[in-house]
Amino acid sequence: MPAPSMPSMPDTPSAPPSLLQHRGAERRYDSPIVATAASRDGQSLCALTADGEAVLVNCEKLRQSEEWQVVELHEGGICLATDSQPGSFLSGGEDGRVMRLQADGRSEELHKGRGWVDCVASTPGNIAFSVKKDVHLCNAAGDETLKVLPHPSALSGLAFDAKGRRLAASHYNGVSLWFVKSRDAKPRLLEWKGSHIGLIIHPRDEAVVTSMQENELHGWRLPDGHNMRMSGYPRQVRSMSFTPRGRWLATSGADSAILWPFFGGGPMGKPPAEFARLPGLFVTCVAAHPREEILAIGYEDGTLVLAETAGLPDDDTPRLLPLCQGARSGGVARGAISTLAFSAGGEMLMFGTEEGYVGVLDLSAGAQAAPASSPSGSAPV
Amino acid sequence: MTSPSASPSETVSSETSGESGALASAEGKVPVTVLTGFLGAGKTTLLNHILTAEHGRKYAVVVNEFGELGIDNDLVVDADEEVFEMNNGCICCTVRGDLIRVMGRLLRKKDRFDGIIVETTGLADPAPVAQTFFVDETVRDKARLDAVVTVVDAVNGLETLKQQPEAINQIAFADVIILNKCDLASEAQQQAMFRAIRQLNSVAPVHKAVRGDVRLTDVLDRGGFDLNRALANMPAFLEEGEGAHHHAHEPPHDHEHDHDCQAHGCTQDHDHAHDHISDSGISSHSFTLTEPLDEKRFQAWIGLLLQEKGADILRAKGILHFRGEPRRFVFQAVHMMAEGGFLPPAKGGGKGGDETSRLVFIGRHLNGAELQRGFERCVAA
Repeated sequence: MPAPSMPSMPDTPSAPPSLLQHRGAERRYDSPIVATAASRDGQSLCALTADGEAVLVNCEKLRQSEEWQVVELHEGGICLATDSQPGSFLSGGEDGRVMRLQADGRSEELHKGRGWVDCVASTPGNIAFSVKKDVHLCNAAGDETLKVLPHPSALSGLAFDAKGRRLAASHYNGVSLWFVKSRDAKPRLLEWKGSHIGLIIHPRDEAVVTSMQENELHGWRLPDGHNMRMSGYPRQVRSMSFTPRGRWLATSGADSAILWPFFGGGPMGKPPAEFARLPGLFVTCVAAHPREEILAIGYEDGTLVLAETAGLPDDDTPRLLPLCQGARSGGVARGAISTLAFSAGGEMLMFGTEEGYVGVLDLSAGAQAAPASSPSGSAPV
Repeated sequence: MTSPSASPSETVSSETSGESGALASAEGKVPVTVLTGFLGAGKTTLLNHILTAEHGRKYAVVVNEFGELGIDNDLVVDADEEVFEMNNGCICCTVRGDLIRVMGRLLRKKDRFDGIIVETTGLADPAPVAQTFFVDETVRDKARLDAVVTVVDAVNGLETLKQQPEAINQIAFADVIILNKCDLASEAQQQAMFRAIRQLNSVAPVHKAVRGDVRLTDVLDRGGFDLNRALANMPAFLEEGEGAHHHAHEPPHDHEHDHDCQAHGCTQDHDHAHDHISDSGISSHSFTLTEPLDEKRFQAWIGLLLQEKGADILRAKGILHFRGEPRRFVFQAVHMMAEGGFLPPAKGGGKGGDETSRLVFIGRHLNGAELQRGFERCVAA
């Protein structure tokens, strides 16, 4: 594997230094960033490249990009998730392997097969991954396969519910909901015709939502299985995130962040909030802060902002905090933001882009601003 | 954009998929060659011939069973031929979900190879493959279907056509046909096969081959579906109709290169119909008009035609001249999915016959006379 290229150029000299320059760092790698994840202990963040290299960032050395560790994990990286263990990550690749990566860079192989490992997920008690039509459910150590769960077609999404009792897997024509501990190997089938390409579970287990091939979302209310359909997107929805208590489901797929209300009977019959619109720029990635009513929003030109969702829906002009500017506003041509992850406590934010940039920001109140690199020294916000 | 809206799932909207897309740019798009052909026709032999030839290029290969092939290529991906219906309620609008997933990942790393070759199983219907290039955003944006190449067995081909309707579709769908095993077939067998091919597909060039030893330029970089590149192919596209009139019913004779037997036959050879092929109801109709067309009339006619008869129209292609428009309009469709766009004006005024519009339909139960009348009504008043 070629070594990572030199750290990227800062935003153009004419632009005021961005928050990313003040409170973070970014660096370019040789292939697109396919996923980012945070460890359970809040100490590290990880990004996976399409070539299968993992970029490990210790939150304490976040600004020293030369200290970021690059580990070759796969021949072709596909998916990355938080591990069951407090300080590590799980990844899946085109080489048919599932790997566990420790914060210090050590890795071990948990599974080796022939098919691509498409999805990986974990709770403190279990890990799960999918290969073609099968989901492998394992113990937390990853050394014992508890069940291999068959599905009618290939899997596109995998998620445990908040308590770790159920495992949802999306596929053509719907979602299979498995009880992790059940001896009865039959799933509850949530059916909806069509191709489901991604999956998310409400943090209070009230609903399962999938994104569909056809530029819309489909949802099932979990208590009664009622169907809900959220449509009107100009593009496919590639990114979904629930705000901490599950009030809003934020998504990409439009030229603003789309937020569906999951309260007061919503989302059915209720319009979504549309905000952080940057005219002509599509939102490509969203990530809700794990604790606060704050949403990180990434755009197709590499722009990244934070937006406050606390005042919604009454306040439709939320406070926006630009983190870095993209190519179309004079910033770095880092490509579309492809993945975002907050650290477990929400103090750090990592992003990855289609052109191979990984960036990390320290959002905590006590963070030291960098020595000003321009005479004015003022942050844009 | 239209605002997203949530609604009870009972209301399923029915957006049509037959809109005309913008003129696709060939720049930066990865060419994809789809290799079809019935079991034993020699697909894998041809594939290995392509991969081992001295062309200085790297291809990613998508196959269905990579265990048995022994393909000498470092980027072979196993796929499933997972076909799904689009959710618009139209039975002919099927796409391949596995290809969307596999190509989506391959295309992230498009710098690694110069093209993708998809080898389908012998029983596959090429339509879901081709439609994938119309339907999926990522595939459409990053890849272009270069050509559907169908390998036909010159010895057993006629027998296969009698027994296997899939083989009929494969020929009907082809942009290029390789008549393989010509060393084992008599001249009479080859001629009979050729006539059968011409009845199903009046436009695809037919190349004779022995053990898949085709010239690479005959199968790669055809630009079969690429509107910008169609200009380069247009002379051949037109020539075929005109050439057929000149060459019809002449005895076979050698041309400058003996692999090319496309001029030996008659492109509108309905008299030579063989009953066993007529039973399939598939036929090929091509029409030529020298008068300029009215763009609005054409769009209205073709739109309605695809809506009503799309399920039976396997392929439609056209290069059209509209009144008052110096640029040629290129049009193509698979079932109900269509796209079209204007070509840049021909350099140096182009060659003769620039005013000619030509349109080809390949499909089931098509009424040639009715299609001709409909096309003629598009002539500008």
